[in-house]
Amino acid sequence: MVQRTTRRSLILLAGILGATAFPSAAQQPDTGTKVVQVTGLAGVKANAKGSLTPENGNLQFDDSKAKVSVPIHSVEDVITGNDSERVFRGTLGTLTMFAPYGGGRFLSLFRAKLDTLTIQYRDADGGLHGAIFTMAVGKAEPLKKELVAQGARTSVPIQETSAASNAQEKKP
Amino acid sequence: MKRTLHVTAIAVLLLSASAGATNAHAQAPTRPAKKASAIQVLMIQSDEIKLPAEFQISLYENLIQQLEKKGGFQHVYRDGDHNADGVTDLVILRSTVRGFKKGSEMERNVTTVAGKTSIDIHCQFTDKDGKSVLERDLNGKVRFLGGNLRATLDFAKKGAKLAHDNFAANPAS
Repeated sequence: MVQRTTRRSLILLAGILGATAFPSAAQQPDTGTKVVQVTGLAGVKANAKGSLTPENGNLQFDDSKAKVSVPIHSVEDVITGNDSERVFRGTLGTLTMFAPYGGGRFLSLFRAKLDTLTIQYRDADGGLHGAIFTMAVGKAEPLKKELVAQGARTSVPIQETSAASNAQEKKP
Repeated sequence: MKRTLHVTAIAVLLLSASAGATNAHAQAPTRPAKKASAIQVLMIQSDEIKLPAEFQISLYENLIQQLEKKGGFQHVYRDGDHNADGVTDLVILRSTVRGFKKGSEMERNVTTVAGKTSIDIHCQFTDKDGKSVLERDLNGKVRFLGGNLRATLDFAKKGAKLAHDNFAANPAS
């Protein structure tokens, strides 16, 4: 009986020690948004996994092999997958639904339920670049807000709240 | 005497015939191949057909990548690159989305024959002065397996081949 209690206590102690010795993922410092760089970022392979962090006026992409930084002031457009859908599903989408050659239908690049963030930026020579990132649902909008707050431009204004946007769309 | 006249007449006839042939050859509507040392790719336009931004970017980036991969041009310039301003034998590629057929990746995965996505793009090559030198309609398809991203790659490969075959100054490279 005493042996059994001791064994239980030891297991419990080991569990507590293990939990405190190795901090959980939730306790780790925030290292940016986990993304997949689909295409476009110079010096990064297609479909490279890494983290995206807007920091000190730069948008940094880090993966195990490369660290690429884009000055946020050079970002001419930031668009999320939701922005594209909003444009298509809103009034404009309804009207263009009747256009020929698939004009009003939404052609999505990705099948899976992912958030996308697309940026257009200029290099030092004025050359236009585009980069596409996919990430977990709900991550693109906060990232866009942060980029815009740090000086990036966007052709689709940020939605304040989803409720407000719903109310706006329902308005005749 | 009569024989000499005969020979002279034949000689004159032959000469005039050869001159005519040379002239005809010079006036034949041969399309001069305008070779260029560099190409500039402008951002894909889709004014009539609304495409998501990621689709446009994917078409543009894939096109540049494929042109660089294919070779034949000393430089592949991006839209807005100032370095292209000084290039005299530059060819500029403008691509406009004209239509698309929305397929389904799930259908493709299940049936492998149905669910084709296709995207139609009009490509116009101009010289530095904006004079059109070649226009062609191309399409990007994803027919069997894969996501819509593959349709953009398919177009890019065709666009790069068209540019390479018609304008590359060093086609062997």
